[in-house]
Amino acid sequence: MSWLTQLRSWHADRHLRLVDVNLVVLDLELTGLDPKRDEIVSAAWVEVRRGRIVLSTARHVVNKEVRQLGQSPVIHGVDDDALAQGLSLRTLLQQLTGVLEQGVLVCHNAILDWGFLKRAFIEHEMTVRPLRILDTMQIERNRLLRQGQTLSADCLTLSACRQRYALPSAYEHNALSDALSTAELLLAQNSQLGGAQGALLRQLT
Amino acid sequence: MTAQVQDVLTFVQQQAPFDQLTHSATDYFVEHLEIIYVSGQNQAQWFRSEQPQLYLVRSGHFDLRSERGELVARLAESDYFGYPSLLTGEPISNQLEVVQAGLVYVLPQDAFDYLRREYKPFEQYFVRAHAKRLLSSHYKESASGWSERPVSELMNRAAVTLQPQASIQEAAKVMKKHRVSSIMVIENDQLTGVVTDRDLRNRVLAEGLDPARAIREIMTVRPKYIFENNRIFSALHLMLKHNIHHLPVLNEDRTPMGMITSTDLLRQQKSDPVQLIGRIYKARSYGEVQQLAKEIPDLLSDFANKIEDISLIGQLLSGLSDALTGRLIDLYQQQHGTAPTPFAWICFGSQAREEQTLHSDQDNGLLLPEGVTDEQRDYFAQLGAFVCQQLDECGIRTCPGNIMASNPACRGTLSEWCDRFTTWIHAPTPHAMLNCKIYFDLRFITGSDVLFGQFLHHLNEIPKNELFYAAMAADINVNTVPIGLFQQFKLQQDKHKHKYLDLKKRGVVIINDVVRLYALQAGISKANTLQRLRALKSHQVLSGEDIANLQDCWRFLTQLRLRTQIDREGLPENCINPEHLSSLERHQLKEAFQLVKQAQQACAFKFARGSL
Repeated sequence: MSWLTQLRSWHADRHLRLVDVNLVVLDLELTGLDPKRDEIVSAAWVEVRRGRIVLSTARHVVNKEVRQLGQSPVIHGVDDDALAQGLSLRTLLQQLTGVLEQGVLVCHNAILDWGFLKRAFIEHEMTVRPLRILDTMQIERNRLLRQGQTLSADCLTLSACRQRYALPSAYEHNALSDALSTAELLLAQNSQLGGAQGALLRQLT
Repeated sequence: MTAQVQDVLTFVQQQAPFDQLTHSATDYFVEHLEIIYVSGQNQAQWFRSEQPQLYLVRSGHFDLRSERGELVARLAESDYFGYPSLLTGEPISNQLEVVQAGLVYVLPQDAFDYLRREYKPFEQYFVRAHAKRLLSSHYKESASGWSERPVSELMNRAAVTLQPQASIQEAAKVMKKHRVSSIMVIENDQLTGVVTDRDLRNRVLAEGLDPARAIREIMTVRPKYIFENNRIFSALHLMLKHNIHHLPVLNEDRTPMGMITSTDLLRQQKSDPVQLIGRIYKARSYGEVQQLAKEIPDLLSDFANKIEDISLIGQLLSGLSDALTGRLIDLYQQQHGTAPTPFAWICFGSQAREEQTLHSDQDNGLLLPEGVTDEQRDYFAQLGAFVCQQLDECGIRTCPGNIMASNPACRGTLSEWCDRFTTWIHAPTPHAMLNCKIYFDLRFITGSDVLFGQFLHHLNEIPKNELFYAAMAADINVNTVPIGLFQQFKLQQDKHKHKYLDLKKRGVVIINDVVRLYALQAGISKANTLQRLRALKSHQVLSGEDIANLQDCWRFLTQLRLRTQIDREGLPENCINPEHLSSLERHQLKEAFQLVKQAQQACAFKFARGSL
């Protein structure tokens, strides 16, 4: 790639808005918080196209190879039935690469989710390069800091963030409803930060 | 495979019409949804005419306004919008105003069409919702209405307060001194309770409690309250919901500012036209009456936008005419001496039916007692001439048919009037039938209601034979509804080649005529069509369903007719070009005409026995 095309794409990139790209809003269910030791129980995602959450793209895939469910089944509501209908972690990752290619990945607290995903992709010798990774938690954190607010311990949880935009509280907490909740939060943030045209991607990263 | 988002599903399942539909319909709906976030800044991008969609509000508050800016509906969680365009295929005309940004579920047209095709209750729900909105949209209260204003505008006196240890007697004294019916109980500048005169009655007097005791014992603790910047509407809502008559008002620091009472709210709610009637009755001169009459057209068009049931408009105008007439007669008597005998001023036609419009002309008369002398007749001749001329100057045109108290034929004694009616009834010529249709709708305005009561009684006693009813029924059937054999509209054409339908002559009038005939036969002495229909319920002449149908048709046609008066298209009065209606309205109009036709035929069958 010549430096000119590079410059051009860098320039175009700077003007990219959230509504211009396909977003994949994802939430993982995990057995714990340590990517080295803990496992992905399930992954759920929903796509946002032209600023609209498209429900027909919603997916929830359970990793049937998960070994150490331990306490989690209670928390995640993943039981033997759900496990039996699950897919191998490889298939799960393959499905995800399909949507992530040329898309922007969005998570609430992306460090955690992306940490697990990156490791899983390496273990399965797969490469996936989302255009960008957005983190609704960071977006909110930066926004609050810009307003000069001091951040309390739990003011950045998904439900606390949603409350700030008067979004309705969710009935359930599983990977898919959290993914949808995150997507809705992102749309609210996009409108708050970007006004009529929506926010520039770089405003959000 | 698409995974179902349980949250969305749970929400949708609770909404009409999905609470009555199978799971497959709900699943299909949810699967095809998209979710958008609508805010004041970004809303323009979502609602495009070329792409109608169904919208379901999940959160936030939105005001739907017509092109003219009137509030059509206030939308919140669970409300749908956008369906009129989906149903009619016509461009979106309403505007959305974002009060609070929120999430909206969007269903594309093809998914909507699929559900409509496959699930009848789904279709019915939205067709009904659309019909309901059509009927009410133009007459919803506008945002500039009184209920939208802040509570603070209502408060006209400072808070009357006492400490909780004050005695009951002291409270009563303070209430007397300030002429209020309630006081606020304050501790450390914060509201802790309320004592009302009702409490003094129920909790003190009725219980025989010692008035020296502290009001703390009888106050309502932790009363409901409202903030001064809340809307009056919220206050009204709160009071109705909790059935309370006194509502403390606090400022943002929760300092008590004052009390509003249900009487304050009622005073607000009283519409301006009603106040105008009150002012007319107090006018001190003819000039003042005329001045007040000039306010009527403006007030009325303003009022028409605010109310849902527009049959009220006719009532209101008739009320205003009654007030003008009554006041003019009073003023005349003040100046020229009290009438020498009892009399009754009566009205006929549209004023009697309370269907008056701004274009209606005068139809009135004077009823005099038996044995009135020529000299006394002179007094009434002058009174009649004076009032009719004054009414004309107030904007109610003189009657081209000369049905006015200024005409000697319309100033008769009880027996003279009865003779006129008897002639028409016994010789039912077309001309007589025309008179019957006007004069049988009659109402008392002012004077001696005893005299009027006697007149009604005599009128009922005049024997009416089958020939008379048959002639009436035949006369009604001369007029036809503008619907052809194949359900198409039969349009008339004016000299400018505009095509139109006459909603009044060929719709409303037929219903009025049919209902009048049944009412005459049943001996009902009301003039208003809806009141006649209501009274007919206790007679066996019409089934409950027929009555309900006629009421609905009458309302629908009157509504449309009034709307044409508001936005005229260069057509004759009361006329409409059906091409300017939506397909649903056209459908409803055909149904209405069809029902009118059935009623007309039933009436011919019953009274004319096929002699037609």
